[in-house]
Amino acid sequence: MTNYYDIDDILVEEEYVPVLFHKTANGVTIDPSAETNCAEQGSKVEVPFWLAHELQLRQAVSINLPACFDQKTRLEVQADAAYVDLRSRCPYFYEFGCKLEPLVTDRTLGILLSTAFKIRYKEALTKVYTAAHITASKYLSFLTKEETNLYEAAHLSSTAFKKWKTGGRRLERASILGRKRKDSN
Amino acid sequence: MYGRKGYQLLKDFASGEKGQLKPFNSKLFDETIEECDQNHHLLQSLIRKMQQEDLDVPNNRNADHYGALIHHLSLMRNKRCLMAYVYNRAEIVRDLAWRVGLELLDLPSEIQEKLTSLEKEYFKNHSVALKSYMGKVGIELNVDMVPPKDPYIKVRILDDIDEGIVLSDKTTNFARHSMHFLKRTDAEPYIARGQMEELTD
Repeated sequence: MTNYYDIDDILVEEEYVPVLFHKTANGVTIDPSAETNCAEQGSKVEVPFWLAHELQLRQAVSINLPACFDQKTRLEVQADAAYVDLRSRCPYFYEFGCKLEPLVTDRTLGILLSTAFKIRYKEALTKVYTAAHITASKYLSFLTKEETNLYEAAHLSSTAFKKWKTGGRRLERASILGRKRKDSN
Repeated sequence: MYGRKGYQLLKDFASGEKGQLKPFNSKLFDETIEECDQNHHLLQSLIRKMQQEDLDVPNNRNADHYGALIHHLSLMRNKRCLMAYVYNRAEIVRDLAWRVGLELLDLPSEIQEKLTSLEKEYFKNHSVALKSYMGKVGIELNVDMVPPKDPYIKVRILDDIDEGIVLSDKTTNFARHSMHFLKRTDAEPYIARGQMEELTD
């Protein structure tokens, strides 16, 4: 269970998915449109992924594809994958898609994820080396969490390389202490 | 309800910079525990209802069973969020001990404010364990790994270090913005804490 304590894993599983209830569940207020305190059989509700996953294992619900993987996104990715705003669709686009893939009936989800990732990864790495950090900030707002981590890792490695080439300080203030505050006195 | 508070707690943790601590959010922490209690209470009432109807609780899959299941899953989810919060904070505390210094009082005061008393205890015990290990092995493990070209470096003092520090070869009073020529091993802990900076030319 290496992911039990992993913060990103927990945040990914919080994303909402639409489910269809096969059995009634009494005494819970998950369904906001129901008048009584229960989720009726045959009702469609949006629940967090962790709940949907467990309930599908016990055959109480079936999971449908959430809105962030719909036809509109697919068309945009086909047109120009590199500049699609995936963060507004879902900040954990790839991780979420990977978790959903074995559970839904849609077979094309895996292909969508891998094509989008291949094109965007190449674009992100080119941006690290060609664009200054300030001009790239608009582009960065399109990237999902995973892509942002990759972008920052590439950026760190390129600055470390430049520092090594020109010769910089060997001993630094510990990064864990955060950015220095400006002197106020 | 249903894992929201645990999620908010973790979002609060993740909203700080990566690897940085924020002050311990005891308000959200307590609210998450309260939500767990609510889920537990509702779970028990549903189970009692099934028992009153004389149904075989483990095997009967009626509507109450699924309601109780959802409450149980939410409780486990909140537990996971609480554990992850404490675990990740402990990881940062351990990192602090390695990179900044083994004494609690050496940490800058703004970091000390963000730790709870339990985390400070954890820091102290971890430092004691590290010190005893390094003593037995006979090597100082938390210094720079790369062998230096020159045993002495030039430093500029950034913060007020007013007490006379005893270095390995001299005792000096460090005034702010003064420059000194120190042994690398002496200056290293001060540079890590941000009290001095290395000058490279």
